[in-house]
Amino acid sequence: MERFFRYTLTALIGLVALFQFVQVITRYVFEMPLMGLEEIALIPTIWLYILGSVNASREDTQIRANVLEIFLKTDRSRALLQAFSDLISIVISLWMTWWAWKYFSYALRVLKESPTLYIPTIIYESALFLGLVMMTLFTSWHLLRNIRYLLGLRATPDHSLDPDFPQTDEVREFDVLTDIRKDNNNG
Amino acid sequence: ATLKLSHVRPQDTAIDVDANAFAADVQKATEGALKVRIYPSSALGDYTLVQERVGLGAIDMAVQPPASSADKRFQVIYMPYMVKNWDDAERVFAKGSPIRQTAAELYAAQGIRVLGAWPVYFGGVALNRDIPDVANPEIAKGAKLRVPPIKSFQMTADNIGFIGSPLPFSEAFTAVQTGVVDGVMGSGAEGYYASFRDVTKFYLPINTHFEMWYLLINDDIYGELEDTEQDALNAAADRFEAARWKTARKDQARNENLLAEAGATLVPVSDAQLDATAAIIRATVWPEILDDIGADWANDVLTKALQ
Amino acid sequence: MVEIALLAFAVLVILLTIGVPLPYCFGAGLMVMTLVGEATMRGMMLWGFSQLTNPILLAIPLFVFAGTIMSVSGIAASLLQFVNVFIGRVRGGLGVVAAVSCAIIGAISGSGLTGIAAIGPLLIPEMERKGYPRAYATALIANSSILGLLIPPSVTMIVYGWVTETSILACFLATLGPGLLIMFNFSAVNMVVSRKFPLILDEPLPIDRMIREAGKKTVNAIPALLMPVIILGGIYGGIMTPTEAAAVSVIYALPVGFMIYRGLTFKTLLESGKESATAVGAILIMILFSLMLSQLYVMENIPQSLVDAIFQITDNKILLLILVNLFLFCIGMVVNDITAIILTAPLLLPLMTALGVTPIQFAAIMGVNTAMGGVTPPYASILYLGARIGNVKFTEVVKPAMMLILFGYIPVVILVSVWPDLSEYLPRLFGY
Ligand code: NA
Ligand code: NA
Repeated sequence: MERFFRYTLTALIGLVALFQFVQVITRYVFEMPLMGLEEIALIPTIWLYILGSVNASREDTQIRANVLEIFLKTDRSRALLQAFSDLISIVISLWMTWWAWKYFSYALRVLKESPTLYIPTIIYESALFLGLVMMTLFTSWHLLRNIRYLLGLRATPDHSLDPDFPQTDEVREFDVLTDIRKDNNNG
Repeated sequence: ATLKLSHVRPQDTAIDVDANAFAADVQKATEGALKVRIYPSSALGDYTLVQERVGLGAIDMAVQPPASSADKRFQVIYMPYMVKNWDDAERVFAKGSPIRQTAAELYAAQGIRVLGAWPVYFGGVALNRDIPDVANPEIAKGAKLRVPPIKSFQMTADNIGFIGSPLPFSEAFTAVQTGVVDGVMGSGAEGYYASFRDVTKFYLPINTHFEMWYLLINDDIYGELEDTEQDALNAAADRFEAARWKTARKDQARNENLLAEAGATLVPVSDAQLDATAAIIRATVWPEILDDIGADWANDVLTKALQ
Repeated sequence: MVEIALLAFAVLVILLTIGVPLPYCFGAGLMVMTLVGEATMRGMMLWGFSQLTNPILLAIPLFVFAGTIMSVSGIAASLLQFVNVFIGRVRGGLGVVAAVSCAIIGAISGSGLTGIAAIGPLLIPEMERKGYPRAYATALIANSSILGLLIPPSVTMIVYGWVTETSILACFLATLGPGLLIMFNFSAVNMVVSRKFPLILDEPLPIDRMIREAGKKTVNAIPALLMPVIILGGIYGGIMTPTEAAAVSVIYALPVGFMIYRGLTFKTLLESGKESATAVGAILIMILFSLMLSQLYVMENIPQSLVDAIFQITDNKILLLILVNLFLFCIGMVVNDITAIILTAPLLLPLMTALGVTPIQFAAIMGVNTAMGGVTPPYASILYLGARIGNVKFTEVVKPAMMLILFGYIPVVILVSVWPDLSEYLPRLFGY
């Protein structure tokens, strides 16, 4: 799973950068902008956003303001709070997924096409519904882990927190950087 | 009931004034039973999206250009150089004309009813620098024009000696200002005065397309109204359209003057140049677009429209 | 309907404090609006989704990706050494190096975390060796790291410009002045504070060696220094749009990172790609749902009703500006920068316009306040990251950080609110 996201997401963001780069070159250097390039570029762009968000749900790094969590002292109380917030998230996520399903079936019925190349837009319009389904599933998985920990079926909490070095989602996003730099430089 | 009506221009522009007059007209005729609330400046989304939302019944009404994303056949009602001047336009786009019939059918397939129309202007090209012999369609000008992401515009730009550069509208102003492109195509004097007057140094009125906005209402929502309310809406829509046909020409001239007062030079375009441009577009752009949307059907529509 | 909109907002804030992810908090707001109120979700997904297709948003992942590549590749380190040659040997100079390096890095990265992530691991130990308290060094670099959000390009300004339909280039320029002012403030505060520290100073270099050193470091830093030139020169010079500039900076950073500074490996590239995409996915799904909520608000005419309601209480400009700043400060304490903008900009801008504050000045007010949120506890992402990188307890970093906020940041927040030219002069100069 980790491998899948690592390769897919890097490929998507690279592809998206490449498309934009090509557009600058064709317009500025060759003075021949490619017609419809931005329509193709939309496919990796939307999937990049949605799969990025799915991965955030998988890693439990969706943006949140865990203000209360910082003040809680024990792993157990934090796991309880997390389980509660997971539960609420799942209810809301299911509701959003339901509306995304309606949009998805509408898009399937209408089958719109892009204005110059006539690419079927369902290729990226489907991303929202499919992404929300995956996000709901991953959130449920985190809820399950928290419940198992609370019931004593699991030794460690879903994720723990060190009050001396609090973490937020953004900090976690930059883990890779700090780890790498520490290895090399931080004596 | 209160109907939400979306349009694409800011408050106090010509369309906003007319839309508000329409709303007052409807309210008066139904003695307040039917109200229309105006949402200017694309506050409910750009016209492509609003057309879909009207089709879904999420927004009740709109007055705006036709969007071809849901059905590419819409392109036939805004083919470039279908009409060359106002006299043509008044005949071809009159209420009850074949092209209006086609428009009504296309919208009907989206669950949308056409109540009326609002002729806007003939399109032109706004430029941020002087380009020699710019009105001559046969020479390559080496100038990049921002075109809307619509195939007919891109092809039109490329076939009359410009380089069509597809850029999103949100980036268009900055692109013209910084010089990423040398000008813009896809709008008319009124649109350029509203959004590009600070960067428009030259204006080329080569009548790229005839811009017609349609007054739309969701079919189901229309069906649920009382008969008297439907009549009031239709009557108000007729007055809305008739009043605009009377002022549209003058309004275009007024906007060209405003551009000139804001510092733009109006480039003269001769009838011969207009004819030459139209001939090129009809020979190069039309066949390809018509092929895209079904040549038999589209040719039939155009033949009837231009009789 | 205003009552229901306020109820939706209250539910949103309650869920937010118990740790429900932001996209779902906005989702809950949507539920309240449609299940309790009369608003409809019909066509809302279609509307929200179509907003995601705006290419300007694409600048966000690309600027984040470019910043990430830069910090893993050693590009930032070369900038640090370059700045260090010129001011590193002066008394208190290392602190100034921190602020100035973060500002230059800010001209490449669009994020507030890049500065501390890229130079913290190098500079914190070095500052400690030279006699600065570790906690102070960490706080200073973390605070300066915020300049990434104020020196263009800036992710927060892209989001602000997008949700308020203000020119993004103008927004970029609006926070530049305040950003530079903050850089000077931090440098000045540092010069005063560091007089108390038992600093070890390197001998000043003889002039000929100094020139040679400077030459060497400059040559080494040229590929890195070219990055802001390409990005900002490209945008303001009429070669490319901000989104394209972001893409070009990614494409440029790759060979530079792989071949010149060599910090970039295939493994770290994959990590950076995944981390940037995930960060961006999380931002955009939140934006998507928040936009749907504010669209429902617009359809029900809520922002205008709120402005009318507030004006019934008072229309005193100074008082309202003070209240707005306090409000933004409190919001910044509990959520991150982009969230703060998404949450408040659509609601506050109509009020600001009614008060005669231009969208561009308000960009700067929002910009400095929300950037400061990154270092104000309890939710202080940039400070947390600093604590981890500096290996200092968070509680120890807070005290020097507060001092820097008080003397470095707050004066600029006040100035931005009362002095429109500070934010509007540069955009005007460029014709916005
Ligand atoms: Na920046
Ligand atoms: Na904070």
